[in-house]
Amino acid sequence: MLNSNEWLTSLPDPKGKLKEVQVRGRKSLPNIDSPSKKNEIWRLTNLDRLKAIFDLPIAFKGSESEENRAEYWPDSPEPVFRISLDPNEDSIESIKLPEGIRLLNNNEIEQILGHVVNRCECNNNWLVTINKASSYHLLALKIQGRSIPPLEIIMPSYRGRLSSTRVLIILEENTELDLLQVFLGTNNSAHSNITEIHLDQEAKLNHGVIADGDGSSSLMGQILVEQKTRSEYYLTNVLKGLFLGRLEPYVVQSDGKAKTSLRGLQISNKLEQIGTYSNIRFDGPEGDLDQLQKAVATDSSHCVFNGQIIVPRHAQRTNASQLSRNLLLSSRARIDTKPELAIVADDVRCTHGATVSQLQDEELFYMRSRGISIKESMQMLLKGYCEDVLSSLPLKAKRWFEIDQLITSSKEST
Amino acid sequence: MIISDSKLILEIKNLHARIEDKPILKGVNLQVKEGEIHALMGRNGSGKSTLAKILAGHPSYKITEGQITFQDKNLLTLEPEERARMGIFLGFQYPVEIPGVSNLEFLRVATNTRRSARQQEELDTFEFEDFVHSKLEVVQMDPVFLERSINEGFSGGEKKRNEILQMALLEPIISILDETDSGLDIDALRIVASGVNQLSSPQTATLLITHYQRLLNEITPDFVHVMADGEIQRTGGSELALELEKSGYEWIDRAVKVGESE
Amino acid sequence: MSNQNSIGEIVSKPYKYGFVTDIETEKFSKGINEEVIRLISEKKKEPKFLLDFRLRAYKQWSKMNEPNWAELGYPKINYQDIIYYAAPKKSEKKSSLDEVDPKLLETFEKLGIPLSEQKRLSNVAVDAVFDSVSIATTYQEKLAEHGVIFCSISEAVIKYPDLIEKYLGSVVPINDNFFAALNSAVFSDGSFVFIPKGIECPMELSSYFRINSGDTGQFERTLIVAEEASSVSYLEGCTAPMFDTNTLHAAVVELITLDDASIKYSTVQNWYSGNEEGIGGIYNFVTKRGHCRGKRSKISWSQVETGSAITWKYPSCILQGKESIGEFYSVALTNNYQKADTGTKMIHIGENTRSTIVSKGISAGRSSNSYRGLVQMGPNSKGSKNYSQCDSMLIGDQASANTYPYIRSQQPQSSIEHEASTCRISEEQLFYLQSRGIGFEEAVSMMVSGFCRDVFNELPMEFAAEADKLLALKLEGSVG
Repeated sequence: MLNSNEWLTSLPDPKGKLKEVQVRGRKSLPNIDSPSKKNEIWRLTNLDRLKAIFDLPIAFKGSESEENRAEYWPDSPEPVFRISLDPNEDSIESIKLPEGIRLLNNNEIEQILGHVVNRCECNNNWLVTINKASSYHLLALKIQGRSIPPLEIIMPSYRGRLSSTRVLIILEENTELDLLQVFLGTNNSAHSNITEIHLDQEAKLNHGVIADGDGSSSLMGQILVEQKTRSEYYLTNVLKGLFLGRLEPYVVQSDGKAKTSLRGLQISNKLEQIGTYSNIRFDGPEGDLDQLQKAVATDSSHCVFNGQIIVPRHAQRTNASQLSRNLLLSSRARIDTKPELAIVADDVRCTHGATVSQLQDEELFYMRSRGISIKESMQMLLKGYCEDVLSSLPLKAKRWFEIDQLITSSKEST
Repeated sequence: MIISDSKLILEIKNLHARIEDKPILKGVNLQVKEGEIHALMGRNGSGKSTLAKILAGHPSYKITEGQITFQDKNLLTLEPEERARMGIFLGFQYPVEIPGVSNLEFLRVATNTRRSARQQEELDTFEFEDFVHSKLEVVQMDPVFLERSINEGFSGGEKKRNEILQMALLEPIISILDETDSGLDIDALRIVASGVNQLSSPQTATLLITHYQRLLNEITPDFVHVMADGEIQRTGGSELALELEKSGYEWIDRAVKVGESE
Repeated sequence: MSNQNSIGEIVSKPYKYGFVTDIETEKFSKGINEEVIRLISEKKKEPKFLLDFRLRAYKQWSKMNEPNWAELGYPKINYQDIIYYAAPKKSEKKSSLDEVDPKLLETFEKLGIPLSEQKRLSNVAVDAVFDSVSIATTYQEKLAEHGVIFCSISEAVIKYPDLIEKYLGSVVPINDNFFAALNSAVFSDGSFVFIPKGIECPMELSSYFRINSGDTGQFERTLIVAEEASSVSYLEGCTAPMFDTNTLHAAVVELITLDDASIKYSTVQNWYSGNEEGIGGIYNFVTKRGHCRGKRSKISWSQVETGSAITWKYPSCILQGKESIGEFYSVALTNNYQKADTGTKMIHIGENTRSTIVSKGISAGRSSNSYRGLVQMGPNSKGSKNYSQCDSMLIGDQASANTYPYIRSQQPQSSIEHEASTCRISEEQLFYLQSRGIGFEEAVSMMVSGFCRDVFNELPMEFAAEADKLLALKLEGSVG
C-alpha cells in the first residue's frame, strides 16, 4: 500500500501554526498500520484510489483554484458570514469576525487542538494521522452567544492537488449556531480534513456538510464531535460526485444526556465510490441518537455505510435508533451496508434497520397511471427520496447544487 | 345516462389474464359507451380489481388472451402513462404514500402531461395553483393537503378525496374507481360521490367497482355487472344491485358451480 | 431485592449433564501430524480417497492461521495438546444394541436419549455419538425399507463410498476456514443421511453428541443429501461433562438439496459452558452450511444455543437453485463468561430466491452475545428477497449484545430488509404478570420464552418442548 516514508519526504518542511502537530504526525505515521484489505474498516475501500490521493502534491499558496473562485459561489438569501479556508486568501487573522465569534490564540490552540480527537479515540486513525502530518491550514474558532449569524466555511479545491485542512470549533455553554461546511471538488483535486467540534453544556449546533465533487475529486474527512450534557448536535451531510469519498463522523457524548441527530445522503454515479463510516459512543446515561443514512447508487458505482453505535455499561437509558436506507439503481452498482451495535447497558432502547431495494414498483405505477413518464416519475421519486435529508440542511444549502442533477443517470428502468 | 347512438369508448373482448402463474381473468367481455355509468360488483378475489389495474396497465399482470380497445385503439400495447394521457383514469383502492414527493408538484406535472396530450396549453405554477384551488371545492379538500407529500399521513378519506381531485384535474374520458367507497364514513362517501357526479358528463364514462349498494345509492348506475371467478356472470340494470344486496352472492356462486360441472 | 438483581441470579443454574462416564477408553496420544491422520484413517479402515482427502486438508490447515476477527478473546489453543481420537474400548460397532456396553446405554438414558428397544423414542431415529465414535443408530432397518440411509459417517464411508466421495467437502471445501480444514483432516465420526428421490423421510432423524473425555477434541462430520423432491427433518443435540479445561469441538455439517427437496436441521446445543468464573467449557467452533442446488429446494436451520464457553457458528445457505429458500431461526442464550458469536450467511445466487432470518439473543451475567450475519444478493439474483430480524435482550448491566449484520447487494431487482432491536425485560410487563399472581421467576421465564416464540415455533414438536424446558432450566433458581 502507501509507502509512508516516501510520502513523508515528499511533504514540505514543517512550518506555521501547526508545525508541532506536523512533526508529531510525521513521527507517528510509520507506526500506524496502513490501510489494507485485511483491515475491516478498509476492506471495501478502493485502495488504489486512496493511494492516488496521496500521490498528489499538497496545495499551498499560489495553487490553482480557478474553478471555484468566490464569484461562482451561490449567494445566500439570508445574511451569512462566509469564511474560505484557502491558502490564497489573506490570512484568516485579518478577517473581521462578527460579534460572538473569535479566533483562538496560539496558546489556546496548543491546549485545545486534538482534545476531541482524543475523546473520539481517533489518535491511531490512519487518516487523522495523515492529516496531522500534512495540514497547514487551520481555522480555530470560539463561539459564544445565542444570536450568532449563520456561518459558512468553504473549502476550495485545487486542480490536481491535495488540500489538507483542519477546523476547530468550540461552542461555549448555551451557544447556538447554524454552520455549513462546503467541500468543493474539481479536476482530480482531493481534500483531507479534520473538523473538531466541542459542544459545551446546552450548546446547540445545526451542522451541514456538503461535498460536491465533479466525479474526479476525492474527500477524506473526519468530523469529530464531543458533546457535553444537554447539548444538541444535528449533522446533515450530503456527499456526491466523489471519485473516492469517505466521511467519518465520530460523536462522543462524554457525559450522556445529550441529543445527537445524524442525517446522511450519499449519491454515487459513474465509477464513484462513496462511504460513510460513523461511530457514536455514549459515555454517560440518557443519551439520544436518531440516525438516518440514505444512499443511491447508479451506473457502476459503489456506496458503503458502516455505522457503529457503542453503548457501554454506564450508558443506561440510552435511546438510539439507526436506519440505513439504500437504493440500488443499476445492476453494475453495489451497495454495502453494515450497522454495528455494541451494547452492554441493559436498560436501553436501541433499534436499527437496513433496507436495500430499487424504487418501489407500486409508487412508480401510481405516478405513471397519472400520465407522468417513467423517466420523470423516477426523477420525482428520487428527488422525494433525497428530500428528507436535503431539507434538514441548514442555511438553505440546497442552493449549492442543482437537485435535478443529483442523479446524473438512472436510465435503467424497472 | 344511456344515450342512444352514443359512441363506444371501451371494449373488452374475451380477456384472460394471470399474475405469475395464477389465472385471474378467464374471459371478460364488457362494452362502455359515452355517458354511461357502469357498476362492477362481486366478491373479494372475483377479479374486479385485477380488471381495473389491467385497464390502467399495471405491469404485474400478463394478458394471455383477448383484447381491450379504447377509442378504437389497442390498449394492450400502451404504457400506463400513455393510457393516462389518452384519458383513462384509475382511482386506486389503496393509493400509495410517496414520502418526499410534493403532492402539489405531482398534481401539476400530471395535469400538464394530460393537457399537452390534448393540445392544451400547459399551466405555469401560478395558473396551476388557481386551477387546483378551483377543483378543491369539488371534493371539499383542505388546501393544506397540497403542501404535503403524496398521500403521506392522509387518512383513508383524505386519500380518496385526493384521488377524486386528480380525476377532476385530469378530466379523463373513462374513470375506473376501484372500491372508492371502502373505508369511508357516510359523510366522506357523500362528498366523494358528489364529486363523481359533478364530474360525469355525456362525453365521459365511469366504471365503479364496489362491494356494496351504499355507493350506488349515491351514484345511480346504468348497468350493473356481477363478476365471479374471473368472468362477468350477470349483467342488468340498477335493480340487479338491489337484488344482490338482498340475497347476497350465493346464487352467483351456484351459477358458477353449475357452469363448471357442465 | 430489586428485580434487576434477581433476574441476574435466576439465570445461573447448575449444569445437569456434567457427569463423566467411567468407561475404559482407547485414546491416541496427544498431538497432530500426518502419522496421526494415517492412524485415524487406518483405524477406521477407510478407502484411499478419504485418506487423501484428510491429508490434503491437513496440508492446507498447517498453512492457515487461526481466525481472530470474531474477537472472541480466548487463550491460544495448543493443537499439539489435544487428543484427536478417543473411543470406548471394544468400540467395534455392534450389530445389536444388546451388545453395546450397558454403561453407554445408561449414559444416554441419563441424558434423556434412551436407545434400547423398549425405551427408545417412538418415531425418532437416533445416532448416538460418544467422543469420537458412533455407538448406536436406531431404526436403521425401518428406514432402509424406504431407501433412507441413516448411519454413522464411518459406516457410510465403508458402505457407500461413492456417495461420500461425491458429496463430502462439496459444500464446505477443505480449505474453507481454519477449523473446517482441521475437521476435514481429523474428523472421527458423525452422521450420514441420504434421502432418495421422491421420499419423505418417515420419521425424525436425530444425532446425539456426547463429549466424555476431557482432553479430547471432538471433530464430528455430518452430511445430509436430499435428492429430488425428498424431505427430511433432522435434530441434533449435544452435552459434555464438566471439566476445568477447555475442550475443542470443531464440527462440519454439510447439507445438499436437489430440485424440490427440503431439509430442516434443528440443533439444541447444550455443551458444558464453564463455571461461574468462566473456567472450563467447550470451545464450539462449527462450520455448518447448506447448499440449495436444486430449483425450489429449501434448507431451514433452527438452533437453540445455550451451552459452550465460546460458540463460533454461522449456519448458512447458498441459494443457487432458482426459487430456492433459506431460513435461519436462532435463539442464543449466554450467561456468566460465555461468548457466542453466531448468525448466518444467506448467499443469493439464483433468481427469485428467498431467505428469512430470525435471531434472538439473550445475554446475562458477564457474557457476550453477538449476531454476525451476511446477506448477499449476487448479480444474477433477480427477484430475490431477504427479510431479517435480530433482537437482543440484556439481563443485568454487565452482559453485552452486539449486532453486525453485513448487507451487500449487486442486484437492483432484489430487496433486503433488516430490522433489529435491543431491549430488556420491562418492569411494567413484569409487574403486570406479577399483579396477576404469577411468581417473579415464572414471569421472567414466560417473558424470555415469549421473546423466543418466533423461533420455537420453527422447531420440531419434540424439540420445542425441550427447548422451552432448557431455557426455563437456565433461568431457574431462587428468587432473593
